[in-house]
Amino acid sequence: MLRFMALRLGRALLTIALVVTFAFVVLRLSGDPAITIMSPEAPPEVLEAFRQAWGLDQPIWLQYFKYFTAILQGELGQSMRDGRPALELVMERIPSTLALTIPALLLKVCLGIPAGIYAALHRNTMTDRVVMTFAVAGFTVPSFVLGLILVLVFAVQLGWLPSGGQESWNAAILPVIAMGLGGAGVLARFTRSAMLEVLGQPYIRTASAKGVPWPAVVRGHALPNAAIPTVTIVGFMIGSLIAGAVVVESVFSWPGVGRLMVVAVANRDLAVVQCVLLLVAMTMVTANFIVDLLYGVLDPRMRGQAAGGGH
Amino acid sequence: MACSTRACAARPQAGGTDMSEVTASAATLPAAASSTAAPPRVRVRIPFGVLAAIAWLGLILAIAVFADLLRPYGITALDLRARLTPPIGFGGTWAHALGTDELGRDVLSRLIESIRISLLIAFGATAIAAVLGTTMGFLAAHFRGWVEQVVLMLIDFQASMPFLILALSVLAFFGNSLVLFVCLMGLHGWERHARIARGLAIAANAQGYAAAVRQLGATPMRIYMRHVLPNIASTLIVSATLSFPEVVLLESGLSFLGLGVQPPMTSLGNMVGYGREYLTRAPWILLAPSVVIVLTTLSVSLLGDWLRDRLDPTLT
Amino acid sequence: MTLLSLDGVSRVYATRRGLFGRPVAVRAVDHVSLSVEAGRTLGIVGESGCGKSTTGRLALGIETPNEGSVRFDGAAMPAPGTQPWRQMRARMQLVYQDPLGAMDRRLTVADQVGEPLEIHGIGTKQDRQDRVAALLADVGLRPDLGLRHPHELSGGQRQRAVLARALASDPALLVCDEPVSALDVSIQAQVVNMLTDLQQARDIAMLFISHDLKVVRQVSHQVAVMYLGLIVEQGDPEAIFADPLHPYSRALVSAIPVPGPRRRERIVLSGDPPNPADRPTGCAFHPRCPVAIATCTHTAPPLSRMADGRLVACHLADTHQRKAA
Repeated sequence: MLRFMALRLGRALLTIALVVTFAFVVLRLSGDPAITIMSPEAPPEVLEAFRQAWGLDQPIWLQYFKYFTAILQGELGQSMRDGRPALELVMERIPSTLALTIPALLLKVCLGIPAGIYAALHRNTMTDRVVMTFAVAGFTVPSFVLGLILVLVFAVQLGWLPSGGQESWNAAILPVIAMGLGGAGVLARFTRSAMLEVLGQPYIRTASAKGVPWPAVVRGHALPNAAIPTVTIVGFMIGSLIAGAVVVESVFSWPGVGRLMVVAVANRDLAVVQCVLLLVAMTMVTANFIVDLLYGVLDPRMRGQAAGGGH
Repeated sequence: MACSTRACAARPQAGGTDMSEVTASAATLPAAASSTAAPPRVRVRIPFGVLAAIAWLGLILAIAVFADLLRPYGITALDLRARLTPPIGFGGTWAHALGTDELGRDVLSRLIESIRISLLIAFGATAIAAVLGTTMGFLAAHFRGWVEQVVLMLIDFQASMPFLILALSVLAFFGNSLVLFVCLMGLHGWERHARIARGLAIAANAQGYAAAVRQLGATPMRIYMRHVLPNIASTLIVSATLSFPEVVLLESGLSFLGLGVQPPMTSLGNMVGYGREYLTRAPWILLAPSVVIVLTTLSVSLLGDWLRDRLDPTLT
Repeated sequence: MTLLSLDGVSRVYATRRGLFGRPVAVRAVDHVSLSVEAGRTLGIVGESGCGKSTTGRLALGIETPNEGSVRFDGAAMPAPGTQPWRQMRARMQLVYQDPLGAMDRRLTVADQVGEPLEIHGIGTKQDRQDRVAALLADVGLRPDLGLRHPHELSGGQRQRAVLARALASDPALLVCDEPVSALDVSIQAQVVNMLTDLQQARDIAMLFISHDLKVVRQVSHQVAVMYLGLIVEQGDPEAIFADPLHPYSRALVSAIPVPGPRRRERIVLSGDPPNPADRPTGCAFHPRCPVAIATCTHTAPPLSRMADGRLVACHLADTHQRKAA
């Protein structure tokens, strides 16, 4: 078990290292890093000091090493727009983003999973078809279209809710729905097929034939087994919370990390972009790692497989 | 919808609306080897939803191909006297069937052109991802050893990072040209194809026809091109079909944010982005492209699901 | 004329015992020497895991031996996957146990039978079509069956198709790895007869690998009995079947089902089938041998030539023969 955890941790760290390498490579390829990070208007002494600090006149391996250590120390450069450290800018926006993404995640899980389970248990009935149609609609409608339609209906036509900004608490309602509904659809569909897969297994039939009441069969056998792949996809959703926020925050002019990223990309404010990239990588890797651990707990088969990750 | 997670459960039934049914007409296979005719094909009934999807996709493709002929106006043609006119049925005229935008540009024309550009990008990107992924998968399966480890690491990396963020980073660093953008979109989903190609190639190589043909003295190129690839083509096609809508959504999302297709070119996401400012006054500017996006993604998803259930139910 | 010769070849795999254990060397083939004459058949028999399939693969050069050498037609066997090795395939072919798995299900039989011709560039397009038709006729398949796909044929027909493909490039050597094990008994006889006919007609050398002694007896000019990667007895099939010298051969022969009352005592071996990762010391067979003596536990018997020309690896072979004589 310990070896299993150590392996997974190793993989997580390797992924982060790869992301940092990716940023490094892309940064180098796109021009003089000093100028791109510090901004073209920075005075030459500042640029020179930066070059010194990052060792830009030294062999590429040394540069990589210094870059790595700089990142680890949180030295991520300054935003071009207002000269403040990028890390600070990103950090102060995180609560806003979390205010949207966490409720959205809850929406996805609390709406999607039960809907999927219900649809699986009542397969091919009208309810199943209705639920699935909504689910399909949920993920084929892109979040920005959904957001705009919600604004059109609820803010413009009906005037019930504000159309953007962060003034009042009910400004969060529409963005959360826009973010959560699509994921709820994906989750419903996925849970349904995971449940169907499990329900089709011989051991379910056996349990039922033994005389176990059906709700107990579902609760005791079907759900735990269907939980395993579902946990994976929820983990993936957690990891990509910020990515989901990017578009919705722009639609609703919500001052979160996503919107910051979009503006930074448009302005080529690379320090901020780099910072967000690393933040997303960390979130993703942490979420995956937790899912891996949960896997080890949920699925006894995994505990035996200590060696070599499974693709 | 395809999901690039590690342990997607295999689905024995159709996901989504359970619409796929296969009815075989009386297909009598020859009892003994004495008959000289090949066995007749089984007949399949295509569900209505899938037929509708195919019809819509046919329409969209036709529009994309014949865009130049169908467009009533140029996409930048201004008609300043007819600014923000609503579409037919809401007070508009046939001169501008879907209305106009703030500069008097005809929404229908721009829509037609957007369909072409968005489809072009989506096809190009899907093709790039399929070719790239398949090649990487084959390389990993053929060479094994450290080559395979490197490919697996890249697959892991790609699968574990949300593509939108990676795409945004690259766009930030490199700016935005159409070629770069299509290539970037082409990096979406390659890892799925690579995984499939590698898995199937390893299975084929381990025993069976690939080993037999290698034994006949065939070069590796011949083995992969003439034998392995045609045998896994159906699975790859299904995987590509399932990732096509994701590219459409990704491209339209990025274009909506102003980071994708740049003016004067127009794409579906682009139009939605521009239409946003006129949400209150002229919602048709963004509704028309939105409807097209949704219907197209839905159609390809339905088609992909149906194809998958018919050809390879073990795919997710 | 010796077409194929294996000279003291060994094939050793490194595996782990369990997931975390020490690496263990598994000797699938242990210093095997044999030769196949042009136009003649050498049969190899033994139970599963004795190394006969691996020997077949070594003979074809699909795997490289860790020790010893393989020579074909006087020249050393090139490394697998190289251009010279590929060219050599035209002269030596493998017939598989599972004909369905060995064929591509998307291509027609005719396409696949003709594939070696394409690969080695034999003949023009029209020539190839004619040759394919001739090959199909040779193996007893109707020409229209060439238009079918492999899964549309019966088991026996498929094996014939695989054979036709193997013969397409007119090889000098055929290695048949359990070619009839997957077939019904009645079909087995047909295919085996066809093999012997083809051998006579085309003067092909064969390495016939099987666990089925009756079949091997029918086709072979020489038989080698393998146990745990070693050859324990080798010689004329009739001599071996009538009077096996090695205790293992005796057990195998006694197990052949014969109609009518049993004339010979059935020898049942004690103990479990061997684990190649855990070889016994001395003679590999001694834990299960009904006549093992003390010497057998620490000294491995060499393969020695008997008076009638047979090779036997047993300390007691001499005494047994003298007793029988």
